Amino acid sequence: MDSLALILARFQFGMTAFFHFIYPPLTIGLGVLLVITEGIYVYSKNQDYLRITRFFAKLFAINFVVGVATGIVMEFQFGTNWSQYSSYVGAIFGAPLAIEGLFAFFMESIFVGVMLLGWNRLSPKAHWVSTIFVAIGSALSGVWILVANSWMQTPRGYKIGLNGIPKMTNFWHVVFNPYFPFEFIHVITGAWEYGAFFMAGVASWFLIKNNKDMVMRKALKIAVIVGVVVACFQIVFGDISAKEVVKYQPTKLAMMEALWHSKRYAPETLFALPNNKTQSNGPHIAIPGLLSMLAYMNPAAKVMGFNKSINYINHKYDLKLTPAMFPPVWIVFWSFHIMMYLGFYFAAVMIIALILLLKNKLYDNRKILKVFLFSTFLPLVALELGWFTTEIGRQPFTVYGLLTTVKSVSPNVSASDVGLSIFMFILIYITLASFAIFLFKKELKERLEGKDELAGEVSNKAKANANAKAKEVLS
Amino acid sequence: MNLNILWFILLAVIILGWSVMDGFDYGVGGLLKFIAKNDNERRYVINSIGPVWEGNQVWLILGGGAVFAAFPFVYAAIFSGFYLAMMLVVWLIIFRAVSFEFRSRVESTGWRNFWDSSITVTGLGIALLFGVAIANILMGIPLNKEHIDYQSLFSLLNIFGLVGGLISLSMFLMHGSTYLIMKTEGGIQKRARVFASGFAYAYIIFTILFLLLSLVFAQRLLNNSFGIIGDIVPIIMIIGGIGVIVSAKSLKSDIKPFAYSVLGIVGAVASLAVGIFPDIVPSSINPKYSLNIYNSASNHLTLFVMLIATIIGLPLVLIYAFYAYKKFGLKVKMDESSY
Repeated sequence: MDSLALILARFQFGMTAFFHFIYPPLTIGLGVLLVITEGIYVYSKNQDYLRITRFFAKLFAINFVVGVATGIVMEFQFGTNWSQYSSYVGAIFGAPLAIEGLFAFFMESIFVGVMLLGWNRLSPKAHWVSTIFVAIGSALSGVWILVANSWMQTPRGYKIGLNGIPKMTNFWHVVFNPYFPFEFIHVITGAWEYGAFFMAGVASWFLIKNNKDMVMRKALKIAVIVGVVVACFQIVFGDISAKEVVKYQPTKLAMMEALWHSKRYAPETLFALPNNKTQSNGPHIAIPGLLSMLAYMNPAAKVMGFNKSINYINHKYDLKLTPAMFPPVWIVFWSFHIMMYLGFYFAAVMIIALILLLKNKLYDNRKILKVFLFSTFLPLVALELGWFTTEIGRQPFTVYGLLTTVKSVSPNVSASDVGLSIFMFILIYITLASFAIFLFKKELKERLEGKDELAGEVSNKAKANANAKAKEVLS
Repeated sequence: MNLNILWFILLAVIILGWSVMDGFDYGVGGLLKFIAKNDNERRYVINSIGPVWEGNQVWLILGGGAVFAAFPFVYAAIFSGFYLAMMLVVWLIIFRAVSFEFRSRVESTGWRNFWDSSITVTGLGIALLFGVAIANILMGIPLNKEHIDYQSLFSLLNIFGLVGGLISLSMFLMHGSTYLIMKTEGGIQKRARVFASGFAYAYIIFTILFLLLSLVFAQRLLNNSFGIIGDIVPIIMIIGGIGVIVSAKSLKSDIKPFAYSVLGIVGAVASLAVGIFPDIVPSSINPKYSLNIYNSASNHLTLFVMLIATIIGLPLVLIYAFYAYKKFGLKVKMDESSY
């Protein structure tokens, strides 16, 4: 195994994970919003809510299928690129992946077919139940995938066996490892936040063109009501998640906060240009004592710096890591900080929008509509940066304290093979993303041109047309 | 019976589940360009699997996860050893999945032709590669002492692997044709009957050829752990194939050909399981380096937890699937929310 192959394998993992994670959060987030809008339709019989549901379901479908396709790559690449990792932790890490397939992904995928193609075959209530199953299934997928990931952050429920390989000793300790509950809540809330901003952004696009669009007014209203709750809670959940990092991954915390040396009254650095070589932050802005306060609820508390944290885990896990083995601190610092700033921005936007909504000025305020349009995909940026923080921050480990990345890679896969597959994946991913964007835009444009989601049900002409086509096929 | 043997059987059941439940999706996809002549017909054919292919595909994901959890060393050895072949499969799966979703969203002939070709090529490709991989595993792959395989992509393409690929290709095409007999009416159904018996003939011929070649390339099939009983298992494949030929022509039943096709697939998976047991990946360098159900498996607790999960989860999956199939009826009906 040469080091180039390792670098390429790491790049490929990052790329695959990054590209895959563009899609599932919207599946999870929009899924819940569809449950809400369709639920309102089922109980109020207001056709506008059915229109919202059916329109966004079309966008949901495009997003869903690309998410599934890229997800298969995620599952397979542990074996292809990280075979040593796979054989080492498969007995523990593989279990949640298999359970995800069995308990979550089947539910999600079977009912997505029923939901997307079954509008005319199920009663409104039965259809709504299918939508609920899709939403539950996608959230459950999140549960098991995050069980797997959080176990890599805080491995529990295992014992090293005689052959040097971890054995599972307690399944529930594996599942409810310390990181899991809040990593799950943080990520799922982020997904709902994205769903709300996505619906709000799309609705705003229509309202900027025509603010008398009563259907999209309702969509924006729902998105704001859901969004304001979610965005405010997310700040709290983010804070709790960071406190978990304080407890279990001191090296990650030091990188997130660019704290080089252990300190009492540790500052929360708001801006810095961290430099690993000089171990300094260059020009920076910091609030003294705030990090200690956030981490331990005590401004005088001592927070472990970068070097000290490395010594600490070396001692704890009996390792010989050096600072040079750790990633550039600025990546982790800025990923974390931009995500955090975005989190505050989301809450602010949603609160302002809620005030405007209550004052009945939301739909006429072009400024806020433009802010929503601009913000459509920003929660996705925050979600990806969150993964940068947690995954790059975990380095040089794949399983924290237990297995390093260097020892995880496939020894038999050459740099040229990985290079070739990266090249192909980039090509495929760009193609897929372009098609997805093209089809998104097409759906938006068709609706703007007056295509009605319910036309197929209402218009007899369309029905006659379909019948004629069917007869042609059968003859 | 211990947990390792039980998991070997469960793995066979999952492969069977995938082949039966998802196999026809690949078959129907592979047939698309040949069986359907115009856009209306193609939509009709695609919608025969439209509401269900996405759920069926999860069998593949479940298979990956189950091997990962139950036999991590197998997962590591096969996926890294077959690196470029696995990548090829993944690319095909990606394109296939989006093709269904993208195809009918734009009313341009060029656009639809492109995605139809993609559905056909990816269906044929996956069906072929599956058998190539299985045949190579049966023959043994060059696993060294550490259970690592350093071969290249092209070493997979040997005569035995190729015939194995032709078995799975004809099997999935036969399965897809019988599925179309069951799900369609009129012209498509007529053609599907012809295709079904044609591919059933191919399936039988390639199976016999494969068994003959195995006397040279994979003697473990003949010298399997079950003796004479093991030797006659492949006959189920041939019985299934003959059943398809006979029932596809008789016009009496739309469902029987599919049932015989399922029988043919059961025969194939059973032959594979019987032929390879107790190994999962035999080593061609030294039988001692082979991965078997014991040295490749997770520890007892993992296997036990996974068994419980399967006992609870699999029936749920079947209930969901049954509901979905029931709601869409036996024969395809198009409406405005179809693909």
